Amino acid sequence: MIDINAVISMMMNNQVDIPLLQPLLKPMLEMPLVGYLIALVLWKPFFVLILMPGFATLGIMLLILPWIERKMVGRMQWRVGPREISPHTRGIIQLLADSLRFLFQEVIIHKDAHRSYFLQFPFLYFIPVLLPLLFINAGTAGNPLVPIVSDYGLQLMVALICLMPVFILGVGWASNNRFAFIGTVREAFLYFAYEIPFIIVVLAMIVLYGTSNTVGVVNAQSGVWWGIIQNPLAALTFFIAMVMATARLPFEIPEADQEVSFGPFVEYSGIAFGLAYVMGYEKMYVLSALMTMLFLGGGSGPVIPGLGELSYAIWFVLKTLIVLVVMANLRGVYPRYRLDQALKIGWGAMLILALVAVAWSLVMGVIL
Amino acid sequence: MEEYKNANMRIINSGPLAPFRKWASKWSLWPCHFITSCCGVELAHAFAAGYDGERLGTLNMGISRQSNYIIIEGTITRKMARALQFVWGQMPDPKFVNVIGACGERGGIFWNSYNITHPSDIVPVDFFIPGCPITPEALLRGVRATQDKIVGIDRKTIEFKRVELPFEKQLEERMVPTSPKLFAPTPLIKVDVKREVDWGKELEDNLKNKLEGLYESITITGKSSIAIKTTQENLKEVAQKLREQMKLDHVKSVNVIEVPHERKFIVEYIISSYTEEELMPVLVTVFVEIGLKDPKIESLTSIWESANYSEREMHEFFGVLFDGNKGMGKKFILAPDTPDLPLRKEFKIPEERYVFEKDMPLDELMVPIEPPKDLYIPISEEFIEEAYDNDEIVVPIGPHHAGSGHLRVTFRIKGDIIVEAIPEPGFVHRSMEKLAENRLYIQNVPLFERLAINDPVNMNLGYVRTLENALGIEVPERAQYLRTIMAELSRIEAFYYDSGIFSLFFGHTTGFMYSMAIREMVIEVLMGMTGSRSGPSFLVPGGIRRDISDDVLKLTDNLTFAIHKRMKKFEDIFVYNPVTIARAKGVGVLTKADAIRCGIVGPFLRASGVNYDIRKIAPYEAYDKLDWEVTTGDDGDCLGRFLGRLAEIKESVRIIKQAVDAVRSIKGPILSADILGEYKEAASDIKGNFFRVFGNLVLPKGEWTTITEAGRGTLLFSIISDGESNVPYRVRVISPCWMNLRGFMEALKGARYADFWAVYGSFGYFPPEADR
Repeated sequence: MIDINAVISMMMNNQVDIPLLQPLLKPMLEMPLVGYLIALVLWKPFFVLILMPGFATLGIMLLILPWIERKMVGRMQWRVGPREISPHTRGIIQLLADSLRFLFQEVIIHKDAHRSYFLQFPFLYFIPVLLPLLFINAGTAGNPLVPIVSDYGLQLMVALICLMPVFILGVGWASNNRFAFIGTVREAFLYFAYEIPFIIVVLAMIVLYGTSNTVGVVNAQSGVWWGIIQNPLAALTFFIAMVMATARLPFEIPEADQEVSFGPFVEYSGIAFGLAYVMGYEKMYVLSALMTMLFLGGGSGPVIPGLGELSYAIWFVLKTLIVLVVMANLRGVYPRYRLDQALKIGWGAMLILALVAVAWSLVMGVIL
Repeated sequence: MEEYKNANMRIINSGPLAPFRKWASKWSLWPCHFITSCCGVELAHAFAAGYDGERLGTLNMGISRQSNYIIIEGTITRKMARALQFVWGQMPDPKFVNVIGACGERGGIFWNSYNITHPSDIVPVDFFIPGCPITPEALLRGVRATQDKIVGIDRKTIEFKRVELPFEKQLEERMVPTSPKLFAPTPLIKVDVKREVDWGKELEDNLKNKLEGLYESITITGKSSIAIKTTQENLKEVAQKLREQMKLDHVKSVNVIEVPHERKFIVEYIISSYTEEELMPVLVTVFVEIGLKDPKIESLTSIWESANYSEREMHEFFGVLFDGNKGMGKKFILAPDTPDLPLRKEFKIPEERYVFEKDMPLDELMVPIEPPKDLYIPISEEFIEEAYDNDEIVVPIGPHHAGSGHLRVTFRIKGDIIVEAIPEPGFVHRSMEKLAENRLYIQNVPLFERLAINDPVNMNLGYVRTLENALGIEVPERAQYLRTIMAELSRIEAFYYDSGIFSLFFGHTTGFMYSMAIREMVIEVLMGMTGSRSGPSFLVPGGIRRDISDDVLKLTDNLTFAIHKRMKKFEDIFVYNPVTIARAKGVGVLTKADAIRCGIVGPFLRASGVNYDIRKIAPYEAYDKLDWEVTTGDDGDCLGRFLGRLAEIKESVRIIKQAVDAVRSIKGPILSADILGEYKEAASDIKGNFFRVFGNLVLPKGEWTTITEAGRGTLLFSIISDGESNVPYRVRVISPCWMNLRGFMEALKGARYADFWAVYGSFGYFPPEADR
């Protein structure tokens, strides 16, 4: 039998402190059931994981990010992008219409596909996407906002992130289509090309910070000494690996529209495609959050008056958004590399950069 | 069909969530990337900078599974009908179909073609958008109409009503040209009509020496053209000698002329040289006459590889067997249900008529065509098994693929390397050669312009020049300059279309948008000159239709500066992008020898190091009066081809500048007095006298061949006239893309799978132009 009061008091001891809402919340916390609920929502682990920068933010991002991408790329291309759906808000609800349309459209499973895997994988994909958020630290030095404090937080995150391509391979395999097959193989090739530099770079940062605890990582970036300043090479390599991992241009090779027609997702339709389509964005979000935590000082930033600890979360999301927008903008700038060229970059330049970054970290770690 | 159309609306309207369904479907019409014919050029504009169809929430999607909307661009050939049916079947419900272009309704300009079908017989169509080609505005209006239909607003579309014209009587009295037909039932067809010109005595003697005993006759048939008649037995030897001793190294055209009343075929090869400078402008016709029964001739593919695809084409059209060509007996351009041997005279298509007789049965014009029953892919089981045995994968690409256009290429890939690429053109084969035999000479002007509506003026010019050549008309100087300006504008247009596609194939949408935006400006100027976006039909034999005002010339002058400015931005973002260079450099290399062997034409030939530009070697219009240079390169790779064309465009801008300056000081008529005859008042505007002047054109007897440098290379028109009828006896069109197809496939050998798109884009392969 769980002692409910003990649980509540545990939650009450670990609340997100928002001074502006305090007068409002205080009477509500007294109430029997509403109070429990509020206590749960404002309980730090729950708040970070479910609200900000966790699942809810991710959900909103999935609706907004493609729109931002389409609008910004549209601006670069001397046009306006989606607009007529809501002219006053510049078409911000475009993705809502698209996703609703996907929801209501027929889902075709062709007869050569592996029926159950075909449908399972887009849903199962949420597991490796959402679990890394368990260790995310959206707080700042001395003020962590983290769901689970673990000494192996970073390693676990990387392990879960490295699990993602497996699901894409599964999607491609279940589709049983030529283009899906080629796209999947391309994904597998790229996977190895970016994964090793990616892991080495994270290792470099662990060496530099002297800890793999996400709380410690953010603590090590106090003031303006963000990771990107302490080790810019690692940040650069991480960014390239991130672009490659999310198959954005110029590494949009597994899903190349003109070459393999969306590769692994070629047979998906309706809501199944809707889920497959946002896979990339989910991955982008998680990786951007990781980059923010590792290199951009987590949620560090000036405290917005009245918002207390919430302002850290806001800074965190804003920084993540900036990383995301930079990644989205690449679409307007670069064509795509060929597979062998991308592999050459992965196994050549990036691997060397990553090793140099480790050496840099060792030197910096010794000096500091 | 009707039921299905309603079924889609029923899905949308069913259930308590219907309002959401409607709203979401309305704002999320994603057209699948299924480009079926030349209106695709305007579709590109509608979704590019300038018109930006994405405003309406329509996002062009590569794959049928994820889209819910098809925009059928014009002609659906029998071959494409299968693909259309298949793609439409793949799409999830609810789905909508719009048809753009006149030929999507009842055939439009190709109404009596043997190879087209009506989209409405194949899929349920929601809206038809007329126009040939349609404008992007019209297309987007069609999208809006579909959106309105989904939410239940009945947008009033056009209703057809019979009206009595007050001047109907007057119309009947007006002089209408006689309907097109062959007047003489048994005309004398000769391809070697002797003409007295001050040229070629030396060459004739030379040929006579070299071919001692192998020829029957050698005739000079005009300036820079000579015909050699030989026999079936000696043909190969003659070809061998010409190839080795005369350095005539490529075939420009393979043609078959059927003369049923004399029970014979005339098979001719038009050959020329890329290596011998003085032979470059010369067209040597080698022809033989063979019997009508079991026509068989030895293939010259082993001597001239460039004849390969044309021989296959002729085999399909006439049934002449080219012994030794590997493609004999296989379908290449035509679909399995297209009538056999369609270009033979005994195969008749519905006649063109000007005035409908009162009791004429309309059914004849509206013959419904059976939708195809099977999905025809010309790959045998053995081929696939053999590939699997060799650890290879067979990948067919197109015609419905985000990066294929209207072409199917079947790859055998080992690892990432292309082992074999089998092309399958003909998805936009609208049978122009047959249609041209049933139309007046002047009616063929708009017909041949539809070869490539992104390079309209050059296509137009090629045909018109052939007529002028035959009739011996000298074009007034002002018209020459104006034609030069328009032809160069058209060349710029063609380049920017191709570079747009090139960048899109690399996944670089920004490059596509920039090119289309630049193209939009060029179109704007052409519109000012001619009044039409992409189908002006502005050139007529003897000159141009109307004089062009100084305002428009000023606009043209301004355009040159604007292009310069925007071109810089395009170069910065796409051309000199490190990724573009990495992708295109050293890929798809065609050496000089290979390029000549495959008979590559135009800027792609020059990129391989052959200095061959018809504008220089046989100048026409005002090209010899202007200062410009031919651009050549030595690399022969994708980047070289692309940069070569870019340099050529810069020369084009120079030409336009000079020509605009020159034409301002030249005043005079724009139509030649030779062709106007008694209608002298039409010298500055043909309006009102068009059919009186041009309606009854008859070409002198013989074969008339002219080559023109179009945007993508050599455009060859060869017209055979019987000297009496107001229709050509036979027209042979060889478009640049058709000649480039062989080299395109050659360049793919040993390339990587992803390089296909680099090669495709660098060749600027435009299937409607190739398939004719």
